[in-house]
Amino acid sequence: MPAQKPEYLRPALIAGAVAGLLSGLPFIGAANCLCCLWIVGGAAIAAKLLAADTAGTLTAGDGAMVGALTGIVAAVADSLISIPLRPFSMDLARRFLDKAAELGGELPAGLDEIMAGSSGLSSPGWFLIGVFLTAAVFTVMGALGGIIGVSLFGRRTLPPSPPPASAVPPAVGPGPSDAA
Amino acid sequence: MPARTVRAVWLLTVFGAFLWLGAVFLAPWLAGRGASGPARFVYAVFAPVCHQIPGRCFALEGHPLAVCGRCLGVYAGFAAGLLVYPLARGFSRTALPPVSLFLLLVLPLAADGAAGVIGLWRSPIGLRFATGFVWGTVLPFYFVTGLADLVRARRDRAADRALEKAAATK
Repeated sequence: MPAQKPEYLRPALIAGAVAGLLSGLPFIGAANCLCCLWIVGGAAIAAKLLAADTAGTLTAGDGAMVGALTGIVAAVADSLISIPLRPFSMDLARRFLDKAAELGGELPAGLDEIMAGSSGLSSPGWFLIGVFLTAAVFTVMGALGGIIGVSLFGRRTLPPSPPPASAVPPAVGPGPSDAA
Repeated sequence: MPARTVRAVWLLTVFGAFLWLGAVFLAPWLAGRGASGPARFVYAVFAPVCHQIPGRCFALEGHPLAVCGRCLGVYAGFAAGLLVYPLARGFSRTALPPVSLFLLLVLPLAADGAAGVIGLWRSPIGLRFATGFVWGTVLPFYFVTGLADLVRARRDRAADRALEKAAATK
């Protein structure tokens, strides 16, 4: 009898939407600069939700699948959130860095090139390419986060291979404890 | 899980990891040769995963790499972990690394990152690279194992479906 397939979509949608929302917000989204923190963390949370929803134990492959789906959902959510917030994000980042410079902080070299380059990549074509690239990267990072999530919140070993048919003991009738 | 499945996933991951690592160096190399369009594209590929602040990136030919020192450390550590993978555990072991090892290796990176965010210290780029590298080394042991298990599970389900289909047509 084939193994029950876990329901990946619900945890991936919940965790992916939250991770994408956080990734798209100004400043808060910058945590993704620390090794895709929101995506890896979101995928790990998706694995935890999946573990809570699934009767059996999870495998690393389940973590990879739910994590990859989480990454895709997060990429779409991140892109949708970023559209209306983009001008605000750029302005906020510029003001924050100017303020830091006033207070004696050192502005990173080449900042102007980054800001100019970012605004140059805002055409619809670049946006679609950006969504695709973000989805590709988030899928890989999400898969990694999902596997880590299974190791943290689920079982750590993969299921053993089924024994050969000859090794399976014959069925017996109910024992003494079953009769009680 | 068949060892050949793990080996195939490992080989694909090695290819992908070194391609990714090469692209990090490709961006400044292109920029140094005046190919600003392709260079911008490669920089854009890495934009979702790194702040790319030039002051926190190693440089090549006067141009910053496509990711910061910490991210470069993670990717370099991932590549190093991949090379060690067959020697450390072969292709037949399927257990994920212990949680304690993961937490131990992520601790330096988390401490350095958190201290930087709350303003306790500004770590030099070499330290950022080192903490990223340490964490990156353990990641292939999750990634390859998980992906190989996913491939195995999909194959098993496909085989089950084929058996059910064959039984239904009889």
